[in-house]
Amino acid sequence: MIAYIFRRLLLTIPTLLLVSVIVFGLIRLIPGDPAEVMMGPDADPASIASLHHQMGLDRPLPVQFFAWAGRVLHGDFGISIATGEPVARLIVERFQLTAVIVLAAVSLATLIAVSLGMIAAWRRNSRLDLAVVGGATIVLAVPSFWLGLVLLLVFGLKLGWLPVVGYVPFSDSAGAALLFLILPIVTLTITESGVLTRMMRASAIDVLNQEYVTHARAKGLRERTVLARHVFPNAFAPTLTLVGLSLGHLLGGIAVIETVFTLPGLGRLMVDSVLARDYPVVQGCLLFTAVIYVVVNLVVDMLYPIFDPRVTAQ
Amino acid sequence: MWGGDARKAVTAIGLLLAAMLPAAHARAETLLRTRLNADIVSTMPGMRRDENTDAVLLHIVEGLVASREDGSVGPMLAKSWSMSQDGKVYTFALRDGVRFHNGAPLTADDVLWSFHWYMEPANHWRCLSALHGTIANVLSITAPDKMTVRIALDRPAPLFLKTLSRADCGGTGILQRASVAADGVNWIGPVGTGPFMLGGWRHGNYLELLRFPHYAALPGPGDGNAGGKHALVDRIRFLIIPDSSAAAAALMRGNLDLMDALDSNQLGIVRRDPAIRLMGAPTLDFYPILLQTGDRVLKDARMRRAIALTIDRSGLARAATNGTALANASPVPVASPFYGPAESMMTKPDIAQARRLAAASGYKGQPIILTTNRRYPQMFDAAVLVQAMAAEAGINFQIQTVDWATQVSLYSGGKYQAMAFAFSAKMDPSFNFDLLIGDKTKDARKVWDSEESRALYQQTLEAADPAARQAAFDRLNAAFLADVPAIVLFNSRRIGGVRANIHGYKPWPAAQQRLWNVGIQ
Amino acid sequence: MIRLRRLHWNALLGLALVGWLLLIILLGAFWTPYDPIAIDLAHPFTPPSAAHWLGSDQFGRDVLSRAMLGARISFSIALGTVALVIALGTMLGLCAGFLRGWIDRAIMTACDAVLAFPGILLALALIAVLGSNKSSIVLALSIAYLPSVTRVVRSAALSIREREYIEASRVAGDARLYTILRHVLPNALPAVMVLATSLFGWAVLSESALSFLGVGVPPPAPTWGNMLSDARPYMEEASWLSLAPGFCIMLTLLGVNLLGDALRDYLDPRGRQ
Repeated sequence: MIAYIFRRLLLTIPTLLLVSVIVFGLIRLIPGDPAEVMMGPDADPASIASLHHQMGLDRPLPVQFFAWAGRVLHGDFGISIATGEPVARLIVERFQLTAVIVLAAVSLATLIAVSLGMIAAWRRNSRLDLAVVGGATIVLAVPSFWLGLVLLLVFGLKLGWLPVVGYVPFSDSAGAALLFLILPIVTLTITESGVLTRMMRASAIDVLNQEYVTHARAKGLRERTVLARHVFPNAFAPTLTLVGLSLGHLLGGIAVIETVFTLPGLGRLMVDSVLARDYPVVQGCLLFTAVIYVVVNLVVDMLYPIFDPRVTAQ
Repeated sequence: MWGGDARKAVTAIGLLLAAMLPAAHARAETLLRTRLNADIVSTMPGMRRDENTDAVLLHIVEGLVASREDGSVGPMLAKSWSMSQDGKVYTFALRDGVRFHNGAPLTADDVLWSFHWYMEPANHWRCLSALHGTIANVLSITAPDKMTVRIALDRPAPLFLKTLSRADCGGTGILQRASVAADGVNWIGPVGTGPFMLGGWRHGNYLELLRFPHYAALPGPGDGNAGGKHALVDRIRFLIIPDSSAAAAALMRGNLDLMDALDSNQLGIVRRDPAIRLMGAPTLDFYPILLQTGDRVLKDARMRRAIALTIDRSGLARAATNGTALANASPVPVASPFYGPAESMMTKPDIAQARRLAAASGYKGQPIILTTNRRYPQMFDAAVLVQAMAAEAGINFQIQTVDWATQVSLYSGGKYQAMAFAFSAKMDPSFNFDLLIGDKTKDARKVWDSEESRALYQQTLEAADPAARQAAFDRLNAAFLADVPAIVLFNSRRIGGVRANIHGYKPWPAAQQRLWNVGIQ
Repeated sequence: MIRLRRLHWNALLGLALVGWLLLIILLGAFWTPYDPIAIDLAHPFTPPSAAHWLGSDQFGRDVLSRAMLGARISFSIALGTVALVIALGTMLGLCAGFLRGWIDRAIMTACDAVLAFPGILLALALIAVLGSNKSSIVLALSIAYLPSVTRVVRSAALSIREREYIEASRVAGDARLYTILRHVLPNALPAVMVLATSLFGWAVLSESALSFLGVGVPPPAPTWGNMLSDARPYMEEASWLSLAPGFCIMLTLLGVNLLGDALRDYLDPRGRQ
């Protein structure tokens, strides 16, 4: 097992290398210049050029890449062009917030999806099934920025139950921080549960059609036992893959939700940095999210054999 | 059986609620919560900066002189000044009893140190080029005595003091040398003389200013960035809220006490909230459509005039800004003292004439790319409306939306055919024309490249008395309207919203948030 | 051999909704009540009325006409993305899952590298490079979603690969390609169908999020996505601006999903006894 994990981690090295090269190339292909953005459209060209030089952006691209990669290998992610803060600290600070929201929301969404999906598949073509499919589809059709704002207006403004802005970090006050996180977590749970429910329902239907389920039923096993022992473990695998994918993606930032709820998370940091062409931050963030993504999927792959006995970790 | 657990849960919820309630202090500390739409970029006045940075730092630092409400210049750290006969030497007398935030008294030495800090090229001071040629060249800065500073220029420069007071120059705020590390290079933080000191800064979340208890206020009421300034609250918290809908909701919910730049598309719902008072002031910014005079289709002035003739500025300003902006065809803003009868002339749209002019220039419906962005909704809406209006005369604009950094880069390189743009508020129309006029081969950003325009612009810099300047602006404006290197559309209005218990807040033409003299009842 | 009797109510509802959408697109190609891009500054924010059935927007443009034209643009973007992603993703996923070995490793490395980018950020960067127009939006969305589909298909293929009948056909000495086509493809289809119908929704919504971030289909061309993101500031005072594109997106997705389900049932080898 440990050898397997080690080999898998070794295999991620080419992925990470590929990611860094893509990031470095892509972000610099986009027109725009951090010095220009920082000094504004009516700054004089001489000072822009001089700032550009000071940032080392006038050196050839490969030189910049290897200089950056060399520093990263020594654990130095550089400093933000826009704020002068160390990139590593920025990422860690922002990631904590994003991680709390995403982990809570994805766990809730998975719970909802598994229960609703199983029930819908079991009572296929019933009114309950229609309600689940309809609900999941409506949820799929609602953009998160829209849902977030509706919740904000209703629970924040109309009912006045929850604060609208002014997030305080956990270190300041855990209670207050939690209060701010309720709406973003609910929003994300709702938007994520749609596709997971549909996936769970589809794979459960698939499994219910299998012969071994018919056998199990024929053996006179109780329906509950059939669902729990035979259907769920076999149907959960594709949903688990999807959960892993969502987790990997979402931990990389939920920019839209963070914008609507004014939360200083990783996603907003990344979008802001791309828009400001803050190269060190973009590079650092994307490398970090790549690592997160790889780790999450490694964990999912390790869980796979548990749920689907036909697949062995190899 | 589960009663104990339930009780525990109730207790836990109670504790949670108690933790959320603000702790009651013996003497309640006053906190004013306001909004910034983006984090500030640094704490260095006039260096790494944007409009938010300028606004925040002007609470912390003050210059020798400062802008008044009407755009003129008033005393700040200098109690008075005199100009030599030839207009080349300025002598400033410093105020007594002014202290920096670290307790040190203000002396001429600090002013000298600050000017050297600003004039050091490696520091990229925004206004270095202005005092290094555009407005004048600073020849020397000396201190004849402990409370006097003398600045010698190479030529008379009527705009010298206005330049020093510019917000984007950091108001040339005087700093104590403790602002910079002992090596004289590394920035620590602004140690100024303003009514507020820098408190905590959580990047991307909020920034706090603290009342400076030993602030020496000028007598009289506040006037622009000048006059009597008083810190009426103990703390100001600038919450960084990029999303305008969320910010408006926060104001109505009471999570914000004040919001300086309310987006016009939020006005509809904020207006209906009786707990919010709205105030507006026309600003000195301007929104133009820039036309690339070097372009194949647009190089003919008749074509550019044709486009200008299709535009219904009043309708456009109304639709793009929810009826808040002031339609204006001139680079001289409506709120400027130099906005006279000549500047207020606006031609009515004339589609037939536009068609004739376009045809005469040889235009045959070629697409013209109109670049805009979604970051600034008013630029975006202006582009959509111009496209629709020009289409009526058969002029075929195709809108290209890019992100703001890309647009800035296209602008800087002159790489566009037409572009919806905005220039921030400047305290003198000369500064506006300075943005437009120049040699495209030396600086590709310049929009208007002609001998005539440069000569006329020079006159606005050299004329000293207001009547002569007005005449110079009138001539320059007439040439602008004839040549149409850009189509000015409107000047925006700064709308501020405050909750009922806030007093003393006022938006102003410089479009910069001011929180001194603002208190909570 | 579609036996109509087997078409359940949900398939019929799906057909009706998708048919309705196609009808609107067809009609919109020839006729809309007003010019969808012509502004009328004298009548902004008209609530739904006899003159404007679905009201007018902040520039006085007719919402119904824009929704009709928007249907075509949104649909073509979503369909283009789904077609591209499913075709490429199924191929890559099947190759990786069934052939294993270095091909699998290469495909997965590339997928992981792309997946490691937050999707919307990748699309944002790609469109910023390629320019914002319809085909670059389709391309950017496809690249962002391709790895998800590849991975899901691969995992379906992996699990099917272990089942006995594949073993059996291997023993029988089938050629690899034939094995894939005969056994793996039909078995991976249910998962692919669900993904395809979900992807359709994601594509419509991603276009909306891209408009929100400023790089969607350039104006004045309407899409349901950019109509929805443009309507956001006016959600309270002019709710009809959000409701029209919102309902269009919702009903279309419901139709596409129901139809997808029915199609899957029909294609499912085990459901066809």
